[in-house]
Amino acid sequence: MKSAEEINCAMELYADMVRRICFVQLKNRNDTEDVFQNVYLKYMLYEGTFESREHEKAWFARVTINACTDWLRYFARRKWVPLEVIGEETGALDDASGEVLETVLSLPEKYRNVIYLHYYEGYSAVEIAGILGRKENTIYTWLARAKELLRERLGGEWA
Amino acid sequence: MNLIQKSLENIQASEELKQNTLQYLHEQQHRRCRVRPRFAPGYAMVMICLILFMGAGGYSWYRKPVSYISVDVNPSIELHINRFGRVVSTEAYNDDGRDVIENVSLKNVSYMKAIDRLLMDENYSRYLKEDSRLVFTVVSDRPEEIVEELTGNKLSKRYGALVYTSDSSCMHEAHRHEMSFGKYRTYLELLEYDDSVTIEDCHGMTMGELRDRIETCSHEGKTDDTDGEEDHHNSSSHGRHHGH
Repeated sequence: MKSAEEINCAMELYADMVRRICFVQLKNRNDTEDVFQNVYLKYMLYEGTFESREHEKAWFARVTINACTDWLRYFARRKWVPLEVIGEETGALDDASGEVLETVLSLPEKYRNVIYLHYYEGYSAVEIAGILGRKENTIYTWLARAKELLRERLGGEWA
Repeated sequence: MNLIQKSLENIQASEELKQNTLQYLHEQQHRRCRVRPRFAPGYAMVMICLILFMGAGGYSWYRKPVSYISVDVNPSIELHINRFGRVVSTEAYNDDGRDVIENVSLKNVSYMKAIDRLLMDENYSRYLKEDSRLVFTVVSDRPEEIVEELTGNKLSKRYGALVYTSDSSCMHEAHRHEMSFGKYRTYLELLEYDDSVTIEDCHGMTMGELRDRIETCSHEGKTDDTDGEEDHHNSSSHGRHHGH
């Protein structure tokens, strides 16, 4: 079981990332808090060791995505995006950013994940494959399709 | 910064969310420290074994008799009493005795309540006639309290009960002869005055007959020894003397 010191450290380092993945996946603030707590509970109970901060961060990304997926499957939560929630969560976004976010959130789940991990966290397709436990080619395909969908909906100025 | 980063940069974990989560983890940590799940099955097994062991042990401890009262008129019965003063078992040593314990509920009550039930029983009172003798004999590590209660009991007084003490070796010897230790103690007392009497003779005699014979023999003995008077209500020396 992780110590209070390790938990506090992980909270400072990864809380925002966990929160963002929850938001991209769940879009619902109440669900977010439950999954957020579950991810940190898993971390607290995790008996393994991490080779580096990057390893630890990737572990958080994978566990959060899996936790969100499980949550969505279990509760069959709504998958549409309530605009007021997006507004509450993102604060005062300019029109362009708001439109990008809304479009990203409207993508199928698998595309949302790769888009977020690639464009926000800066992971390569190889690293995303490791995090999601998929083949690299699958990630390349998903990334390509996700980009295509975004381009269709947003035009060429979205990234 | 690309547009996706820009659109998500305001999504952050609030301090409230962090603090709620830390509080939640603290509670979980505290709960899991008390009984860690991977040890829970073992812990539960240990507790179950302990409860079973204590239950079985506690029950046998409760059931274990530490004091005995032999109640003899003609029915000869013994009350086996646990450390809490409750009758945990009864034993009859003749047909009349068996008839009594079948019809009077004597178990799982205090020994004085059992005695009262016995003496108030209509069937049992048939044996308490003028020429009969009600004799209580006590075997216990601390017999004084039981003797005191028996001698002070109203019904015991009404029937002129005699109270003696004996010891465990006398009790075991009596049981070897399939006789209550109260009757056996009386046999040993009679044997002091009349060495021709046998245990078989005593089996067929009531306590009234045995006491009459003792009194007759002791009166005959008085012509030789005038100091032979005894206190029937607390003649513990008899039992201990005859206890081997």
